[in-house]
Amino acid sequence: MDLKAVIAILGLLIIFIGAAMLIAIPFSLYYSDGALFSILISSVISLTAGAIIWFVFKRYLNDLKTREGFAIVTFGWLTMSLFGSLPFIISGTIPSVTDAIFETVSGFTTTGASILSNIEAMPKGLLLWRSMTQWIGGMGIIVLSLAILPILGVGGMQLFKAESPGPTIDKLKPRIGETAKVLWQVYILFSAVLTILLLVGGMNFFDAITHTFTTMATGGFSTQNASVAHFKSPFIDIVITVFMFAAGVNFALHYRALKGDVKSFFRSSEFIFYASITAIATIFTSVILMLHGNHTSFPEALRYSSFQIVSILTTTGFVTADYEIWPAAIQFMLFLLMFNGGCAGSTGGGIKNMRILILLRNGAAELRKLIHPKAIVPVRFNAKAVPPEIISHILAFFVLFISTFVFATLIMTALGLDIVTAMGSVIASLSNIGPGLGGVGPMDNYSHVPLLGKWVLCSCMIIGRLELFTVLVIFTRVFWKV
Amino acid sequence: MNFRAIFSILGFLVGASGAAMLLGIPFSLYYGDNDVVPILLSSGISIIFGFGLWLTLREANQELGVREGFIIATSGWIAISLFGTLPYLLSGSIPSFTNAFFETISGFTTTGASILTDVEKLPHGVLFWRSMTHWIGGMGIIVLSLAILPLLGVAGMQLYKAEAAGPTKDKLAPRIAETARLLWGVYILLTFSEVILLLFGGMSLFDALCHSFGTVATGGFSTKNMSIAFYNSPFIDYVIGTFMFLSAVNFSLHFVALKGDLLNYFRNSEFKFYLILVVSSIAFVTVINLITQHSYSLLESFRYSFFNVISISSCTGFATSDFALWAPAVQFVLLILMLIGGCAGSTSGAIKNVRIFLLFRNMIGEIRRLIHPKAIISIRFNNRTVEPEILSMIASFFVLYITTFAVSALILVVSGVDIISAMSAVASCMGNVGPGLNTVGPMANYFHFPLLGKWVLAADMLLGRLELFTIIVIFTKSFWRV
Repeated sequence: MDLKAVIAILGLLIIFIGAAMLIAIPFSLYYSDGALFSILISSVISLTAGAIIWFVFKRYLNDLKTREGFAIVTFGWLTMSLFGSLPFIISGTIPSVTDAIFETVSGFTTTGASILSNIEAMPKGLLLWRSMTQWIGGMGIIVLSLAILPILGVGGMQLFKAESPGPTIDKLKPRIGETAKVLWQVYILFSAVLTILLLVGGMNFFDAITHTFTTMATGGFSTQNASVAHFKSPFIDIVITVFMFAAGVNFALHYRALKGDVKSFFRSSEFIFYASITAIATIFTSVILMLHGNHTSFPEALRYSSFQIVSILTTTGFVTADYEIWPAAIQFMLFLLMFNGGCAGSTGGGIKNMRILILLRNGAAELRKLIHPKAIVPVRFNAKAVPPEIISHILAFFVLFISTFVFATLIMTALGLDIVTAMGSVIASLSNIGPGLGGVGPMDNYSHVPLLGKWVLCSCMIIGRLELFTVLVIFTRVFWKV
Repeated sequence: MNFRAIFSILGFLVGASGAAMLLGIPFSLYYGDNDVVPILLSSGISIIFGFGLWLTLREANQELGVREGFIIATSGWIAISLFGTLPYLLSGSIPSFTNAFFETISGFTTTGASILTDVEKLPHGVLFWRSMTHWIGGMGIIVLSLAILPLLGVAGMQLYKAEAAGPTKDKLAPRIAETARLLWGVYILLTFSEVILLLFGGMSLFDALCHSFGTVATGGFSTKNMSIAFYNSPFIDYVIGTFMFLSAVNFSLHFVALKGDLLNYFRNSEFKFYLILVVSSIAFVTVINLITQHSYSLLESFRYSFFNVISISSCTGFATSDFALWAPAVQFVLLILMLIGGCAGSTSGAIKNVRIFLLFRNMIGEIRRLIHPKAIISIRFNNRTVEPEILSMIASFFVLYITTFAVSALILVVSGVDIISAMSAVASCMGNVGPGLNTVGPMANYFHFPLLGKWVLAADMLLGRLELFTIIVIFTKSFWRV
């Protein structure tokens, strides 16, 4: 393990975070919100700390290998969250360090779970930073899932090794750099289009840009206490629904579509599966809402249900309706969708459609093998047979996901939360959604969760965001052996 | 498909269970109940119809293949459950067919979920039949899991191909008969010892027999409304607790132990895993109960935790306390134990420890493979390497189990049951446990469930009992292709 090289990279990340904070300053000045000084200090601290680390350790930098990759990813997210919480702590808007770190981890992992009970009272500059943590997190995740994880071989992401744009060299640095450049262009383009559409829909520039940040990252932080419901605009609802859905799709597909190959969406098994789930769940919800009399007009039911389904499925977490007053059937379905999540290679979290699809197809293959024990039954994904090692790894991923969920829920119930709240908060964190069920529903927040519980949820967010194995591998003895 | 042979076997099963109904008559006469005629009638119908069918078709070609095996296992349970409803219906104890079928299939699958609001009101002959269904079901399961499923290759039970007692010929009939003879000896011995101990503890012969049937089959039907809490005797609690634990252990281990090799338990990976799981759950629950249930002394807390943890983890479902009122952390532990269940080759249900054990081992193997992608890492069970195909099958079983769980719970919630009751009812019925949480807690029953819900749960009991694949395979297209 080349720890010094890892530290050097972390130094660069800290510099980057410090520089990014400066973007909040114009907003702070414009709204004269009194947070200017705190943001400036936080930025200076980060820039200095980062620069010192970089200059001390940069000479150790050389070719990074798999192990360093695991360490950089996990420690990278942790360091960003530590330094990213400075503006909240220094300004005193979130006085408790635990709460500040919770909010920042929730930001960088694009979760969107908040401990703030009155968001609108926050200085605008800090709100911008809060939304920006999600946008930065989203950038990180796209590169992580399409460039880094396929090389590290985590969670079956090897399937995307050949698919993602960029050269296919086995050394980490050049490939990551190339892929990142291409995909970030797509990310930035989408963000620009969304901002313009939201401005057209009547948002002011500040709201438009913050909601863009958190939509594209499937994050879910809003600048309003009532989330997107605040704007009471069907146009905004629909625009955000469409862009959340798009952010939940593999960005490599968007890239190919932008290059002219629009049909590539329909050649992707995962996209078809994801779109079908969205459609079925939306129709189911609309029908139940009509039957229970929550809505009298079908278009209205469709508007609220499509927004909420897409928001939960893509693991964004915006709300336009308090789904906890919806019938229990819808709540339970949302709970199940929380496990499912978006597509691999998107900013969405959860188990991901690719894995669910392969698990289901493998189940069907096992049934056929039961009748014809000697037959060779391949499991196909995007018209190619999936190697058994990858299936085995995806199965292990599923088991690990469920056991992490169970174990974390057990701790939360032991801390005194009721079962529904415990399960809701853990899956909302593990899948990077934000709002859960019970005491952490869409109209509640996480401030009442016990201290230890907040740290458990923080860990869940990071473990879930980094596809479990990336984090857990660091805790094995084998990893540290030379 | 050899339907003549299938029907002849079904006829035999129905006739035999009809003969078993007669065993309740001495108790009816002794207690002076008015259910002698209905029982005689039910028994007569079953015997004439069943043995009639058997005698007519007996001469047919008796060649049975794998496919016939699947059909017999599934339709056998359904056939005896249909005829088994007769005593309830004809005596008027349970007037509705749905309820009677629910109660009978709950008996034969050794679940123990009941729709009866007042058990003590039932005539003794019918009550005896109710417990008898457990005992017959338990006999069926031992043979199914140690002789039939290994040959059919269902859900990793091939692991037990070599282990089960009896000859290892590849034809179904002789092997099944031999295994059955040996293991039923163990089963009857366990039942007999428990009856003696319960008589010693002060139960009447009737109660001792019924509760022994319910224990050794890990069923859970009691003759009392308050289940075992009625007796309020530490001796009875510990006797039944111990026998529930023993009944959840692989019966071929008991067989080897009875032949003198007592240490064989500790050479078995699954037994060790199960023991650790049960001991640590009891310790956890004892501590939490001591903290949250202020009326308990340490000894009482241990006694109640010991009994109820074993009752749930062995999939029995007896209760000495209303655990639906215990702390959320304890309830969550019980919910997880319902999903894990006992050991393979016992009368208990659910996912089973061998599978959980192997899934964990495989997960750790995958983590090691991430660091050393080229290393060959084998997964071991009882000091033998487990083939990757079996691991894949077990993992698919796990995925299928969770999927069935989620879909069934969703249907229950849609039909109007609250989320916790629905989830626990499905976990409980799929695992063949019996009681759930909330409105289906140990002191409540399933009477108030909607009609659709009862049928879904009845299907879940059978699906769980036959290890999912056995039934689902029948619904695939390739099964019916010649």
